[in-house]
Amino acid sequence: MAAHSQTNGPPATPTPSHPTQKSMTKAERRELQEKQRAAKLAQKQQPQNADSPNKQKAKPKSDAAPRRSTGAAEKQSSAADGSKSHSKDTPGTAMDNDAGTSISRSLRIFSHFVLTKHGHGVKGDIHPCIIRLALQFSEFRICGANARCIATLIAFKTVIQDYTTPPNNTLSRHLMTHLSPQISHLVSARPMSVTMGNAIRQLKLEISGSDIDMPEQDAKDLLCQKIDDYIRDRIIIADEVIQDLACKKIKDGDVILTYARSSIVEKVLLSAYKQGKRFSVIVVDSRPLLEGKALLQALTSTPPVSWTLSSASLLPPPPPIPCTYALLPALPSLITEATTVILGAHSLHSNGAVFSRAGTALVAMMAKQHSVPVLVCCETYKFSETVMLDGFGKNELAPSHLFPAPAQAPNLETLNPLYDLTPPSSITAVVTEVGLIPPSSISSIPMALGRMNL
Amino acid sequence: MLEMDIQRDLVPQEFLAVILAGFGNELSPLTSDHGDEPCLKALLPVANTPLIDYPLSWLEQSGIKDVLLICPAIHRPALSHHIHSHPNSLLHIDIQSYEETPDSAVGTCTLLRHFAGRISRDFVLLPCDFIPPPSLSLISILNKFRTDTVSDGLIATTCWFTASKTDKTVIPDEWGHIAPPVSIVWDKPSTTLLYVDTPDDLDRNSEEVELRMSMLSRYPRSSLSSNQQDSHVYVCKRSVLDVLQEKHHFDSFREEFLPWLCKVQYQRAKREKYEHILSSSTNTSQSQALRHSTLSSKSKAQQAPHVHKSKSTATSAPQSPIPSDPNIDPHPSLRVGLHMHRNGIAARVNNIHSFLEMNRHFLTSASYSLPTDPTQRALIDQKAQISSDTIVGESTQVDERTSIKKSVIGKHCTIGKMVKIVGSVLLDHCVVADGAKLDGCILGKNTVVGAKAELVRCITQPGYEVDPGENVKNEKLEISDWTAGAVGDSDSDSEDE
Repeated sequence: MAAHSQTNGPPATPTPSHPTQKSMTKAERRELQEKQRAAKLAQKQQPQNADSPNKQKAKPKSDAAPRRSTGAAEKQSSAADGSKSHSKDTPGTAMDNDAGTSISRSLRIFSHFVLTKHGHGVKGDIHPCIIRLALQFSEFRICGANARCIATLIAFKTVIQDYTTPPNNTLSRHLMTHLSPQISHLVSARPMSVTMGNAIRQLKLEISGSDIDMPEQDAKDLLCQKIDDYIRDRIIIADEVIQDLACKKIKDGDVILTYARSSIVEKVLLSAYKQGKRFSVIVVDSRPLLEGKALLQALTSTPPVSWTLSSASLLPPPPPIPCTYALLPALPSLITEATTVILGAHSLHSNGAVFSRAGTALVAMMAKQHSVPVLVCCETYKFSETVMLDGFGKNELAPSHLFPAPAQAPNLETLNPLYDLTPPSSITAVVTEVGLIPPSSISSIPMALGRMNL
Repeated sequence: MLEMDIQRDLVPQEFLAVILAGFGNELSPLTSDHGDEPCLKALLPVANTPLIDYPLSWLEQSGIKDVLLICPAIHRPALSHHIHSHPNSLLHIDIQSYEETPDSAVGTCTLLRHFAGRISRDFVLLPCDFIPPPSLSLISILNKFRTDTVSDGLIATTCWFTASKTDKTVIPDEWGHIAPPVSIVWDKPSTTLLYVDTPDDLDRNSEEVELRMSMLSRYPRSSLSSNQQDSHVYVCKRSVLDVLQEKHHFDSFREEFLPWLCKVQYQRAKREKYEHILSSSTNTSQSQALRHSTLSSKSKAQQAPHVHKSKSTATSAPQSPIPSDPNIDPHPSLRVGLHMHRNGIAARVNNIHSFLEMNRHFLTSASYSLPTDPTQRALIDQKAQISSDTIVGESTQVDERTSIKKSVIGKHCTIGKMVKIVGSVLLDHCVVADGAKLDGCILGKNTVVGAKAELVRCITQPGYEVDPGENVKNEKLEISDWTAGAVGDSDSDSEDE
């Protein structure tokens, strides 16, 4: 690119855009054609965006977006790319202005799971708890399958308690219609996770099965009790059982590799440490969320334990967990040291595939290559009856206003898919509260437990 | 209508807006009594819209439906009349009055303590004189409050805007000086308000700003700013009122209580005393979800004591284990948030300078055109020259060869022939006789300006009458001057704050 500009610059012909055809190579001719086409496009776009670039250039003290575009414009003009960058600049400013509108050269990849911009207004009467919860989701304050499910259920408890059945209606029928707009408000903030979906399905089942003759307050209390039981049984206690099962797989001297941050993996590691096992942890992390940093903080800030008296001798307190932190590209050099890989999951599908944070598939496949056992810790309520074959059909992009890319250029658009799919062949075993199972046999669990569905 | 009431019962309203309408002593003589009738600051028109309509329409846009309007008892009939003359508004306004006089005005904290029983949820405290810029939406401030209150333990959010510089040539010193904006210290990354200078602090030490080390160790990268002005828009949790009940000696919310509230998060004594009131750990808080969340960021405050302890007790005597109770809240921060607004001009119209400036600001976007209604148009003479950056109210009569430039003329005014009005604000029902010249003046309601009078940069009290042929410059004209005999007494002693 730089070489190309130099050939065009020095000749200083009065019309530099029309050098003789013979003097240009085929690539240069194509460039010229592109430039002309882009200039025409820019002409069409100029009346649309005439105000915004001018206004933004006039206000140097405004926010990052116009500063970025003017800075980028200066950079591009110095590189003498002329009208081509200008036409890309106007789509750039259009993108900076309104993240939701499509740009003239919109990328078709991943366009099917771009979030529509969450409207500022609240349509209909949404409960204040749900409004606040939706903001927590869209601002990524509450992130993670377990956290979102617990938060949703707690918010629904408040909604149910504040609900009164209108006359000529029954709770079992009307509460469902009352909850539907609340649920869609949450979905508009962030797509629903499998855990939330399963929990809400269970809640709807409970609501439709509630007794008509029961007084309203009792019915509401019973529903709240059922919600508490669900959280306790299928998340908290399930986590404790998984901790016990997984801890048995951790021995002294192990090097455990984990990826990003999973609430259950964190619990497993901390409980193994409390049991007195001496192991070390490698935390592998990746942008943009950098959740591994929080896991590192949690693992290294274990509360100090006092000296213990054991059989007439004073034992020193155990040292804190030795941790290594690395980004994903460093994985190949660290995988050789790991003895076990423990991963978390967002959901588990009927074909045994694990849907988890983007990068998990890499870790699992690399571990498989180096014959390191891969354990996925997953509660049974994360199971989904669907079949998933790749991470492209259903995914989610991290919003760019919360996780801005470090390299800002007007012709560079950053996409951060949040999830990816790990094939069952890379996974050694799945640790659930019903035991260690191979990944492809989740569909046999309900039958084993004597239930109709999960 | 019955269904709508039921709909409201199903979902409780999230916020209650509390609007405080005071006397507006700094806007006198515009808010002085007109005869026996009080002139309300809340109904003072800016660009021919009553001042209180600006925050009310702002609230409507944000979706808040319930409003509690607190005003002095003598203002209540006028306000009530104004509210009821807008039946299509979506707001449900409850007017409550308090006995007070302009001389012994009651502080805002006292009002809130008195009416705390009517406030049962999180509330937004607004003044009646805040004009928000179109680029600032109350929803953005509310969203900040909603997000941080759940995930962080925020107790209140404030809104600050850049104070505009006053133009000395436009506003003479006789009109009084305004207090400069207070200095504030705030933390940019977490948008936390850390310190607000109070008049007491200024009295104690006017040259230095004293800051606590505990604040600086928590927020080492804070910024100090002295050109930010408080919009008096506070979004607060209900528990803030409970704390206010305990502090009886505070009188002004903005000057005394808010600076005190900013200090609770980092001053240990205050924190220990009020933490249990301010942090609500009900069974509906999202503490369990936050503990499971993968992106929760603990505040640095929690980390510091832990790190300190582990370093110092590496090889020392045995220490007691710290109980880790899984049911306690993850340490709420109890901080006061801050929304800094930089684009667009906002103002609090509580003194003459900002009143004039907001009028001028609305004139820049005004474009005058002759009224379409034929009866109205008949009132305005063909030979009158009205420039495009003026606002003329309805039913105003303008006679021939009058020129009006860059001014706001109220409703039902009568302007005579050959009058020159430049850069002035005339409120409703003014009468300007032939040949008068007004330059940079503010005329209160029902002012009568005699023929061939010349007023330059004057303010008149409502109902004042300027004698014909008078020549007044840079003065405040009040009715009490007539009784005093000497016309042209300028008093500038009611300005301090």
